[in-house]
Amino acid sequence: MQPKPLNVLCLVSIGAHPTSGRARRAEQDARAVELGLRLAGEQVQVLHAGNAEEEALRAYLGMGLSELSVLQQPDGADALPVLFDYLKDSGAQLVLTGSQAETGEGSGMLPYLLAEQLGWPLVVGLAEVEKVENGVAQVLQALPRGQRRRLQVRLPFLASVDNAAPVARQSAFGPARRGTLWTDEVHVLDDDLLSNASFQPARPRPKRLKVIKAKTGAERMKAATAKAAGGGGQVLKDVSAQEGAEAIFKLLLEEGVIR
Amino acid sequence: MLNTLLPILLFAALLLAVIGAGKRFFMWRRGRAAQVDWLGGLLAMPKRYMVDLHHVVARDKYIANTHVATAGGFVLAAVLAIVVHGFGMHNRILGVALLGACALMFVGALFVAKRRLKPPSRLSKGPWMRLPKSLLMFSASFFIATLPVAGILPADFGGWILALVLAIGVAWGVSELFFGMTWGGPMKHAFAGALHLAWHRRAERFGGGRSTGLKALDLSNPNAPLGVEKPTDFTWNQLLGFDACVQCGKCEAACPAFAAGQPLNPKKLIQDMVVGLAGGTDAKFAGSPYPGKPVGEHSGGPHQPIVNGLVDADTLWSCTTCRACVEECPMMIEHVDAIVDMRRHLTLEKGATPNKGAEVLDNLIATDNPGGFNPGGRLNWAADLNLTLLSDKKNCDVLFWVGDGAFDMRNQRTLRAFVNVLKAANVDFAVLGLEERDSGDVARRLGDEATFQSLAKRNIATLGKYSFKRIVSCDPHSFHVLKNEYGALGGNYEVLHHSTFIAELIAAGKLNLGQHKGGSVTYHDPCYLGRYNGEYEAPRDVLRALGIEVKEMQRSGFRSRCCGGGGGAPITDIPGKQRIPDMRMVDIKETGAELVAVGCPQCTAMLEGVVEPRPQIKDIAELVADVLLEAPAAVAVKRVVEEVQ
Amino acid sequence: MSDIIRRDPRAERIARNRLHPLHATVQRSETSWMGPNGIIRKNPHAVGFIGPNGTKRIDRSGAQQGGTAKRSTQAAAVQLPLHTVAAPSFYIVVVPDLVGGRLTTHDRDLLGLAHKLAGHQGAVLAVVFGEHKESSFDTAGVDRLLHLDGALYSGYAPEQQVQALTAIERQFRPRHWLLPDSRTGGGELGRRLAAQLGERPATRVWQVTDEHCIGRAGAGQQDLQRPLARVILAASECAEPVSESRHEALAVSLDTEVARCLPRIEDLGAVAVDPAATPMAEAEFILSGGNGVRDWDLFHRTAVALGATEGASRVAVDDGHMARNRQVGATGTWVTARVYLAVGISGAIQHLQGIGACDKVVAVNLDAGCDMIKRADLSVIGDSAAILAALIERMAAHRAGGNRDAA
Repeated sequence: MQPKPLNVLCLVSIGAHPTSGRARRAEQDARAVELGLRLAGEQVQVLHAGNAEEEALRAYLGMGLSELSVLQQPDGADALPVLFDYLKDSGAQLVLTGSQAETGEGSGMLPYLLAEQLGWPLVVGLAEVEKVENGVAQVLQALPRGQRRRLQVRLPFLASVDNAAPVARQSAFGPARRGTLWTDEVHVLDDDLLSNASFQPARPRPKRLKVIKAKTGAERMKAATAKAAGGGGQVLKDVSAQEGAEAIFKLLLEEGVIR
Repeated sequence: MLNTLLPILLFAALLLAVIGAGKRFFMWRRGRAAQVDWLGGLLAMPKRYMVDLHHVVARDKYIANTHVATAGGFVLAAVLAIVVHGFGMHNRILGVALLGACALMFVGALFVAKRRLKPPSRLSKGPWMRLPKSLLMFSASFFIATLPVAGILPADFGGWILALVLAIGVAWGVSELFFGMTWGGPMKHAFAGALHLAWHRRAERFGGGRSTGLKALDLSNPNAPLGVEKPTDFTWNQLLGFDACVQCGKCEAACPAFAAGQPLNPKKLIQDMVVGLAGGTDAKFAGSPYPGKPVGEHSGGPHQPIVNGLVDADTLWSCTTCRACVEECPMMIEHVDAIVDMRRHLTLEKGATPNKGAEVLDNLIATDNPGGFNPGGRLNWAADLNLTLLSDKKNCDVLFWVGDGAFDMRNQRTLRAFVNVLKAANVDFAVLGLEERDSGDVARRLGDEATFQSLAKRNIATLGKYSFKRIVSCDPHSFHVLKNEYGALGGNYEVLHHSTFIAELIAAGKLNLGQHKGGSVTYHDPCYLGRYNGEYEAPRDVLRALGIEVKEMQRSGFRSRCCGGGGGAPITDIPGKQRIPDMRMVDIKETGAELVAVGCPQCTAMLEGVVEPRPQIKDIAELVADVLLEAPAAVAVKRVVEEVQ
Repeated sequence: MSDIIRRDPRAERIARNRLHPLHATVQRSETSWMGPNGIIRKNPHAVGFIGPNGTKRIDRSGAQQGGTAKRSTQAAAVQLPLHTVAAPSFYIVVVPDLVGGRLTTHDRDLLGLAHKLAGHQGAVLAVVFGEHKESSFDTAGVDRLLHLDGALYSGYAPEQQVQALTAIERQFRPRHWLLPDSRTGGGELGRRLAAQLGERPATRVWQVTDEHCIGRAGAGQQDLQRPLARVILAASECAEPVSESRHEALAVSLDTEVARCLPRIEDLGAVAVDPAATPMAEAEFILSGGNGVRDWDLFHRTAVALGATEGASRVAVDDGHMARNRQVGATGTWVTARVYLAVGISGAIQHLQGIGACDKVVAVNLDAGCDMIKRADLSVIGDSAAILAALIERMAAHRAGGNRDAA
């Protein structure tokens, strides 16, 4: 269909498994690569700024890439300037990234800053590229609750993908072993984040209690007893279908899932 | 005239047979190299045929006797015919012997013909329907042609008309039975089968041995192929094995996936490999097709990819690796090896493990368990049990291998029950705790040899740090892998299934047991305990010790039907017409038992997944723990268990 | 209602007449009062009400107050004290999401956080783009309201919005920018703004203490504690919403016209999507069917009516009523829905494992003893078909009512 495949470049990072925390291909970045593979086939370029020794990088190669470029950096270095230097001369028409890193700060700022510096438009939450004609792409943007919005944007542009993008294909051992990791030495700039910030293991956030703004004891009593009744699970027996439906409806409305 | 015609016919057929044999041999040799004992195998072949193969065939007395008569008669008749008619040694005694052989063969062939009058659906039709006629023709022709030699008829009896008729008969007979043997006729099974027995991929299976562990893939060599893409990627003796198939369909009759209407038929799969070996289409296949896939739409060649040419991927992923086909196969063909070999290519090269496969493998890589649970929660099930960690103790008698059932709430009941039993028997045991990883069973069956080896090597390294006498596991899959598949990677252990271990404890009088009080009980043999490891008796011994008289299912012991939970089948989840566990539950219900005893977390999960009402499902460990007559101190523990339940 | 106490001669008359049918309703409702020497006195006899069959009932849940309820509820509707900031010494700017034109709970939390940061000197300035339907900016805690309306801001125009926000930055020099770190727009706008301003934002912030803020980092395995940033993208429930004061919500405007930026991204409008196609793990409201569902057509219609994503138990999938990718449970998808409505699912252990992360579980089942009922927050025992049909009706009535509201 397309006379010339799009020049697509994907930025990938090392992820962390949500339960074990072990290094893996980052979920969203892998989806970006998947989208890239669908758009440009094997011509898709994949770029990582960080440690080329990391075995988890091979998981991207296992998706069927023949090579992956690495801008060699130590942990904690600022990836932004080196990526900017690389991208501005890369000739890429579409740069895909995940929306947020799975390790480190994970602020999700990288695509915004890169787009700002490159002066390119940024599409957030890219779900699908519908067509590219005359240097203009028509894309679908993912919105919450599975909704989609159609956008038109001029090439070159940057796009971040989130979990609404197509699921990444399986990473296979054979291609992962065969693929090449090209390493580029780049000038290292330290990120000053950790000079005044500190990481700590995530604290579980307590569920917000129903705030009881009771002025009197009776009201507090009422709130407390009402909660106790609800906590055990309310069972409606021998009610008409209408009453049952009404109770369910009330709960749905309270939870705000009905719009 | 016959005296000149017969030697010509005989030797021409023999010559053609030799040429065909050479051709066929080189066809096999297109496969990858394999280590075989060339001469030793050939020498051992007759014994393997007479003893091991006969054991399998003799499960069906009718066909065993028929085959002894037909094949025995044929071999004798063929040898004598060559001597008598080929070399013209018209000795009267030899003639009589030949007559006897022909008569024996004729009788056998009559029974073959009788079986073919109304053949069961598992048998292939096509050229196989012709075979009894050819057998009859061969034996009858040689019988009549030998009558003069034996002196029963005058030498020129019947004149040239009879001679012509006999010549035609002999020509038909020898072409089917001599060169048809090497040119791809039904008799190919005799030629390929004999050599297959000689150079079998698992020579340990003969002489009463058992070899069920999958063979390791060499991952250290980056140029070695990862699994099987095209027919020539099989080792040559695997290809030879495919050629040995007699299309008797015993595998088809035993296959749970076939019965469930999933697109797998082991017989067709082997025949498709034969098609791939020679090149062509499957249009000539005369047996039952893969359910839902018409015959004639697939084709392939020795150097073409198998999947999506010759065989569809879902056929390969339907297999539960229950080994029922291998157990039933009278030619001792290794279906499961072939399927896993092809799966390896799909997973390791193509990244095409279907459905939840990719997710499960990713989880195994990142969390060492298929569910993707936090590895730090591996011992949560035993938080209140005060288990000893092997890392604290360094040595113990029994290492309790918990398995991934540790993350499954249902299986935790079994585990806790087994811990109760161990404690009641005062066994010196410990667990690995957080140091344990998935055994790699699922990864390996799904074809991910890399993940399997990575898990296995790390497990072996962990086990190497400690000293223990034996490993006991409640999971037959872990049990099998630890016992039979870690050896190739350097881990050799004495491993027991918990039913075996409990049977030992009972025999040694270490358990003070009451009697089972519930209703009648049947027992479901897990594939990986029974067929894979030959343990049929220990679980029954344990049940007997509880005062249970097992109401056996029709399909039990080595014929036990799979629950559908093996080989990653619940993960790849290929749709069929019905579900395998539902079929197994029908088997169970037929016995009228109110409870089915199992010995495998997979079986428990699959059978409990059947919609109620159905018999209750309990692990053997639970049944034993239920009737433990405990010392007062242990009662408290049991109460906790009940609360958790 | 006025606070002046007036005599009601009719009520007094009724109070005197013990045979009057309304006598009970006008009885003194006080059960406790300050005694003459400062001690709280209680009248235990005044507690409770006369029940329908003449016996006195005491309902300690407070749910039912009998006849005496009327008066006290009237008194409860009090005016909250007005919080005024006459001359703000600094501004905290909040850009709420306003999903559907109304403040979301996330927005209200954010305004609560803004007030925490503003104290008494600062003013909370809310920036609202496009049309809105919100009428309670005052009680939500907005001191100043900047409403930017017009065609420029309609639809998806993040670049134009950032342009406007930079204009605000120049005019108001806010001490902090607060945006919701949400997928509904705030997360994107906040990052665009931060990139434009050259500020390093604190993202996914869930707690702000005096000088520090704590936000989730990476994939949620870690927290990042850092000094309070100028641009804060806060998670929901980052602070308690304003609830005890009323605010001026004075309209302010920009001194200068916002420059019109050339849109590089053109909004071609929303695309219709099938709610059934929403990935299950993403869905926040799942209607899940099991073995007890007989009428699958009705089930699907209910899902459409409720706008719910469909799920199924293993049995329903095995029986071919639903696709395999709809299976919920340990062997299917682990779902994280806020509300999980299980119809005819008895609750196998694997299934309950799969819905472990769901907030509210509602069960509709015939069997009151099944495990799903034990897990559920609300269970209705009865025929699923009748209940689903009633639910569709109720929903239709709600929609009709909702339309009237909007009109």
